[in-house]
Amino acid sequence: MQTPKTSRAPLDRAREALDRVLFGQEDAKTGLLLALVAREHAYLEGPPGCGKSALAAALPRIAGASAARISFHRDTSASELLGEHHLRRERRETSERISFERMPGALARAEILLLDDLSRAPGEALAPLLRVLSERRLAGTQLPLESAVATAASDELEGHSDPLEPSQLDRFAVQLRIRGLLFGRRFALARELLDHPPAEPAESLLDAAQRHRIQREAAALPIDPAAIDALLRAVERLRAASGDEPALLSDRAFAASAPRILRAHAWLRGAPRVEAIDVRALRYMLARRVPESLEPHVAAILEDALLEATPIRALPADARPATAAGEGGGGADAPVPVAGLETIAAPLESIAAMPRARGDDDAASVDELVRALLGRLERGAVSRGDDPGGQPRGFRRMRRLDELLDADPVDGLLLVQGEASSVRVARRERRNAGGSLAVLRDVSASMEGRLSRWAGQVVAGLVRTGARRRMRMGYVEFNHEAERFEAGGAFLHRRYRRLLALASRRRAEGRTNYEAPLRAALAELRGSAARERHIVMLTDGVPVLGDPQVRRERALARELGVKVHTVFLGLGECPEVLDEISRETEGAGFVGRPGPDGRLSVRERSTGAGRRRSGGER
Amino acid sequence: MKQSLGRLRELLDRHVVGHAEAKDALLLALVCREHIYLEGPPGSAKTRMAEVAARGAGLGFFFYQMHRDTRLSELVGDVVLERRVLPDAAGERIHQTIEPGGILTAEICVLDDISRAPGEALNVLLRILNERKFGEKPIPLLTAIATSNPLRDEYYNEPLDPANLDRFAIQLRVSGLIQSGERALARALVDQFADGRVVEQPEPEPLLGRAELDALYAAQSRVFVPDAEKDRLIEFLRRLVVDYACDETNSLLTDRSFLVKAVKLLRGRALLAGRERVEREDLGVLGSMTTFRVPEEVHEKVPELIEEIAK
Repeated sequence: MQTPKTSRAPLDRAREALDRVLFGQEDAKTGLLLALVAREHAYLEGPPGCGKSALAAALPRIAGASAARISFHRDTSASELLGEHHLRRERRETSERISFERMPGALARAEILLLDDLSRAPGEALAPLLRVLSERRLAGTQLPLESAVATAASDELEGHSDPLEPSQLDRFAVQLRIRGLLFGRRFALARELLDHPPAEPAESLLDAAQRHRIQREAAALPIDPAAIDALLRAVERLRAASGDEPALLSDRAFAASAPRILRAHAWLRGAPRVEAIDVRALRYMLARRVPESLEPHVAAILEDALLEATPIRALPADARPATAAGEGGGGADAPVPVAGLETIAAPLESIAAMPRARGDDDAASVDELVRALLGRLERGAVSRGDDPGGQPRGFRRMRRLDELLDADPVDGLLLVQGEASSVRVARRERRNAGGSLAVLRDVSASMEGRLSRWAGQVVAGLVRTGARRRMRMGYVEFNHEAERFEAGGAFLHRRYRRLLALASRRRAEGRTNYEAPLRAALAELRGSAARERHIVMLTDGVPVLGDPQVRRERALARELGVKVHTVFLGLGECPEVLDEISRETEGAGFVGRPGPDGRLSVRERSTGAGRRRSGGER
Repeated sequence: MKQSLGRLRELLDRHVVGHAEAKDALLLALVCREHIYLEGPPGSAKTRMAEVAARGAGLGFFFYQMHRDTRLSELVGDVVLERRVLPDAAGERIHQTIEPGGILTAEICVLDDISRAPGEALNVLLRILNERKFGEKPIPLLTAIATSNPLRDEYYNEPLDPANLDRFAIQLRVSGLIQSGERALARALVDQFADGRVVEQPEPEPLLGRAELDALYAAQSRVFVPDAEKDRLIEFLRRLVVDYACDETNSLLTDRSFLVKAVKLLRGRALLAGRERVEREDLGVLGSMTTFRVPEEVHEKVPELIEEIAK
């Protein structure tokens, strides 16, 4: 084996080359180099214009690797990712045979694969690709693929992105969230960047043989038992600190990939073996595996695990605690007699003791409500067709050859015979997309404290779901009067971030009036061309102003086909008029009140309509 | 060099009355090879200005009217089916390819009514604009000029995705002369049409060319940026973030635009003013970057803020 020292030089230079491509973003650069050495996939998440794509694109150039780049968009289909479709026509003695062939595309040749804006692709299109990534085989042949580097927008609401599933992201061993310098308020760094303008990477510093040697060398590094101990302790601590929030600490990531990342980390710092301190490299793996709220504490958690696994080094021999060395996971509980250790162990305890802030424990039950509401939103749109593209609604021109299967049969035949150049294929419309939704939120004086927080959570949940379905949304706060919130001059819009910001507003004043908000929302929905039009009204009280029966508004909603869903929050009796509104407009009714444990518990109210109608639904 | 820009400016003045700010911005975009986005109500000469500037630049030109059904393929050329006979009489193979055209072969393009196109087509299009590459192949595009109506229901458009909007370094709001109460200019415009001189808008002649624009770009990159002006730029950004509470939820102050492109625009502005060194008055150009990147009420205060910082 070559000594690591000599062969590390090119990677040091690679690092410098990355510095020239983009000043700052040190974590992203380390993450990319770790992925390169470990032959793992990397995922960078961040806002537009913070340099993720530039760094990703620079990697293969600097590493001298052949690259392929896939730019994702909302129409990305599984087939185009894996190769191009050709149509093959063979004449036989007595027949003619026409078949589809898939020609492997750039994917088959790439050593480093760049996946730009991964989150813009629909999830179902990604599944086959991500599978190929983890198997590194396509149609039975081994791919030359070393690493895939994906970038994604951090904002899942604005823009055209679909949140990625954690299970899909698990294929990316390295995962990092990066921030722009400006919003990160790192103005000193920003000032330095002005003196180091980004440049294109000039030359490749490695070739395939060198890369492979480095990768082999790193993969052969021995791992200290203490390092494995630290790794396991770190994972255990991360799991404990995540609490009930979803964390994805999979065996694949931490048993299979983590040792490779640790080895790469050791190799990059020029060590002949993996030591416990290499467990610090885990922080490049955690962006989407642990809850975002844990992120500020990750470094401390890793240090704790590290310290627990190697107690002797940090201390003089005589101060060595008898219990700390071998006793396994319960480190925070075990009495630690040494002052130095206590202080360092504190972060974990502080996290465990952290108040579960901002009513996060309510979140789960609000989710239920949002889910139930959504079920109702989607009922109107459910269609029987099992084609993922949706129900056929007329024809359009064919854009890709693989759409031929969806073509008008006669057109398809003419095309194959060379007698037609344009082919009509079924224009499909996806269900669960589009539509308009107005959210009416009661902000009267009684909506304070917990009620207001719950209402905010429900609104936020609705906004997130609306964003996924690309619904146009509007927002009204009401008490004795209704206040409409516009964005860009329109009541119904898709500026979801704006709506989220509104959801977290806390306001409680005035008295309740149902008429004003309903009238305002219906006036807006009347002008909306969407087929699915919904109103969700959140309230905690009986109207004391305006028409308490809102007869005119109910009639108008019926006439327009707008479904009004009502959510009653609080301990009181749900006013009958809410049931009537929901029933008449074929909307759903919910009631949310604190259960015996003080948490919000939500259930669907029986408005007397649900059961009767469900028989007629498909 | 100054002369060639002067001639282009004259050409714009000949064809379009008023709109000094937008005209300067167009020149700046050409000099800096940046993309520019003009938003304004119908009939405010956006498209006309874009077209005159583009044609006057004397470059390979592509004009596209975006619409609701715009497909990416219409912008990048023709999608063709190719059939090839396989050797040994094994049959034939039909596959699909793109014959590059449109935006892939143009040096300057005008994308009219950009917000009418569906987001998906735009997303890919604007990435092409940003990277000036299609797939792995570099494209000759220097500057794209996009126009749009303000977001209103009756215009059938959709707001641009913020990531997309960020591709346009320069962003300007244009309003008609009559609407903005510029009576003298409106009068001049009416006169121009009333006296019968303008029967038909003549085709603007190509004035500059690739060589001249290349020389301008090179000159721009040689303009010196003193440290004091860099400090002012950072101070401007710091104030926006800290004092005006611009953050991820309401603004789009990306590193790419404000730490990389802003410097270029400062240099371009200095060059347009005939200088080889950025001065504090060039900071005004930052106002053409914040139009749609910060909340409207903050953007209104930007000139004030710049003035304060330039002191």
